[in-house]
Amino acid sequence: MAIIETKELTKHYILGKKKIVVGLEKVNLEVNQGEIFGILGPNGSGKTTCLKLLLGILFPTSGQAYIMGKPPYDVEMKQHVGFLPENPYYYDYLTGPELLQFYASLFGIDSDTSKKRIDELLELVELHNVRRLHLRHYSKGMLERIGLAASLINDPEILILDEPTTGLDPIGCRDTRNLLLKLKEQGKTILLSSHFLSEVERVCDRIAIFHRGYLLATGTLDGLNKQYQAENLEDLFVKTICTFDNQQAVKTGEAT
Amino acid sequence: MKKMWLIGLNTFRESIRKKTLYIILIFALIVIGASKLFSFLTAEEELKMIKDVSFSAIEFFGALIAIFGSLYALSGEIERRTIYTLLTKPIRRSDFVIGKFFGVSMIIFVNFILASAFFIGLLIFKKSPPDIQVFKTLLLIFFELILIGSITLALGTFTSDAFNIICSFFLYIVGHLTSYGKELIERMESVVMRGLTDMLYTLVPNYENFNIRDKIVVGLDVSWSYVGWTILYGILYLCIALEIALYFFEKREI
Repeated sequence: MAIIETKELTKHYILGKKKIVVGLEKVNLEVNQGEIFGILGPNGSGKTTCLKLLLGILFPTSGQAYIMGKPPYDVEMKQHVGFLPENPYYYDYLTGPELLQFYASLFGIDSDTSKKRIDELLELVELHNVRRLHLRHYSKGMLERIGLAASLINDPEILILDEPTTGLDPIGCRDTRNLLLKLKEQGKTILLSSHFLSEVERVCDRIAIFHRGYLLATGTLDGLNKQYQAENLEDLFVKTICTFDNQQAVKTGEAT
Repeated sequence: MKKMWLIGLNTFRESIRKKTLYIILIFALIVIGASKLFSFLTAEEELKMIKDVSFSAIEFFGALIAIFGSLYALSGEIERRTIYTLLTKPIRRSDFVIGKFFGVSMIIFVNFILASAFFIGLLIFKKSPPDIQVFKTLLLIFFELILIGSITLALGTFTSDAFNIICSFFLYIVGHLTSYGKELIERMESVVMRGLTDMLYTLVPNYENFNIRDKIVVGLDVSWSYVGWTILYGILYLCIALEIALYFFEKREI
């Protein structure tokens, strides 16, 4: 059953009088409950745009997006969603526990529960020893980890992560990977965007490959490898993108 | 309502931790400097000068805090991208805008209270405790500051920071000149110009309505009825400003 769904989701950016840039073009996506779904693509392929549309930060030019059958602006739906943005920036004048407490309050979590949850999460992301440190003194990796903790504060059913391992060292990457697998075991649905192929390969049940705003392929890794006669994810990634670029070049050539 | 309050409280906490309140020190130095500067005057004249300088300083520094506080409250969230995480929480966009307004109002209020307390303390020190007229003046200054803050917040939902600052200061200056503007309009010969200026006169909030300090300093009384109507006038403009802010922010892509 699809818990996240997009129907012909399109986003065009208008630059100047006549120039239109395709952010996303008629994307149909279905993420099933309890799976880890990876969105792959080079920079500027529409991964973040897709996530922002799902979360109501951007508005679609056309098409629809649903999470748990609800539109992106639905407040009740957001109660069950956790989000980690790319390169997370937080209120740097707060400490880790203060940040988590602020977000917990917005979810309406009572103080006893939130206190317990904050302790658990700080332990989980190994920031319990720097409780009194303001976020402006955090390293990039620490910010990524507090961001992950913040995205879990409401014990969400759905976790949307935009490049969750950017800035993490190899051990941090491994820990995040293990955490994602553990969350999946707990029945969470995870939608993650990344351009780290090895990371996606290890954790995702299904993937989607985006390029220039188009959804080129979607399915299980094995299924896609067979379909595109690819040896591995890297090979698949390059093949789908090159095929698309060649098709576009032919179209452009025909047009001129 | 609780979520708006939480967002407001977080905005206020930022201003405290980023030491915005230091601007009060500048205010204190100006007022102390003024009291020393006018010490050669008679006691009565000195008090008048202290009141005049203090009211003006409370209003001017308050306006600076209102404009820059409102500007930063909104654009700061967008520039630092903290808004991405905030808007994905179970809050409405209207909660965010009204929460920011609460936060800016708290910043204005605390600065205003500290500056007013310092001013009142100085009056008591000069053996001239403030009468009710002084409090009426301060009350109207406070509502003016809240209105200035809400207008900057509204402008911030659909303009750039630079344009917002220019507009906010333009409105602040023009809003204090509207009384002269009325005379100017009546003298205009061109019907088109008169119509345009009249429209501007109607749209721009008349901040001079909130200025009763000239009367109070020279010992005149201002009625509670005038204070009440002016506050109502301010609240009406404030509601319009917030409605504009909500309208544009609902449609804004981040």
